[in-house]
Amino acid sequence: MNGRHDICGQAHSLTVLTPIREGHESALARYLNALDGGRESPLSRVARTHFARWVVLGDVVYEGKGARDHLKRGQLLFTSNFDGTDLDSYLESLRTGLGPAADEIWSHCSGYPGSDGAAAFAAYMRKHHIESSLFFAAYGEKTVDEVKTSLSVRRDVINFAMNSQAMAPAALQAAFARAFPG
Amino acid sequence: MRAPRRDGSSGLGEYVVNVTSMDYAPGVANIEGKATAITVLTPVRRGGPILLWIVFWAGRNLAFTLKKLEVLSFIHYARWTLIKRFPDGDEGDGQRPNHTYLFFESNFNGTWDQYIDAFSEVVALRMKAIWGTSIGFPGPLPVEPFKRYIRSNEYVANHYWSAYPGHTTTEIVSAGRVEAALAEFRRTSADLDPDAFSAAYASFLTKVQRDL
Repeated sequence: MNGRHDICGQAHSLTVLTPIREGHESALARYLNALDGGRESPLSRVARTHFARWVVLGDVVYEGKGARDHLKRGQLLFTSNFDGTDLDSYLESLRTGLGPAADEIWSHCSGYPGSDGAAAFAAYMRKHHIESSLFFAAYGEKTVDEVKTSLSVRRDVINFAMNSQAMAPAALQAAFARAFPG
Repeated sequence: MRAPRRDGSSGLGEYVVNVTSMDYAPGVANIEGKATAITVLTPVRRGGPILLWIVFWAGRNLAFTLKKLEVLSFIHYARWTLIKRFPDGDEGDGQRPNHTYLFFESNFNGTWDQYIDAFSEVVALRMKAIWGTSIGFPGPLPVEPFKRYIRSNEYVANHYWSAYPGHTTTEIVSAGRVEAALAEFRRTSADLDPDAFSAAYASFLTKVQRDL
């Protein structure tokens, strides 16, 4: 199970903070910056993912007057908003979906065991997982597939409404049955 | 090493933009279609974590506290968490800095300015409750100092992805209502004659028109 505060509806938040190996920050950031977006993003292959990001954190910001903090190591932040109740199966989707990209990314981080072994990969992510304190989802009851279905239905209703404006009742009913069968 | 500089550079080369200056424009990596990412990390003053524990408890247990976020109908997902230790690659519990850090991320549609404006104006008290314990927080209003504060504590995503980048939160929530109304209409109109069907269809369209 994921942390109980990582849940909103059926949606889950995942926050993973891993230490970047000494001197690897720029190479990692360069790799991430160069990844293709949209359908070509490796994240598009990770089922159940609504939104996700990688952020390279070089250090923390401190605007106070006292002793400022400096991180000993740069940090790679990975966050995801995903479907389902089972973190382990999502981590497995992450491992298999990202494929070689997982190693290209997390091999810049200390202690990363590689993506060959499901258990070791999941254990590494779990070890560095930080539970949310508060997680908000506007439509947390909807899975990715359900969101896409709803959007498709809405589009169909709009199209049908536009194309059926002048139809007589019998024609309207028949056209509706064709447009929305089943 | 890695000391962030106020000019927005990190000392790590052009590829790591880990600290933003006040005049920094958000990078394109923060944007995917209509979706925008915001990632903020702020140091919390001593005693703050206890107050935040109460704030977050209220957020989780008192429905009205998060309901207001639904009014800000452009937020898909948001999260807050406290980070006390940062992994340092060594065996052990990691580095414990002088301060606990408050992490915030949001996935929203619209511009960064619109987002901060709305946060500042619509949920000012909640913003104060959450970031009031962060060092340097100027308050949610007036909005310009608040924006400068967020900017200077914000990190740019190196890669950001959305499963449905072309759609806003409002469209998704509306689509759910249309889908439910359509299912209801199909169920109740199955046995109607054409004239009754046509009338029922007109009622259905009236019901869903604000969601189309």
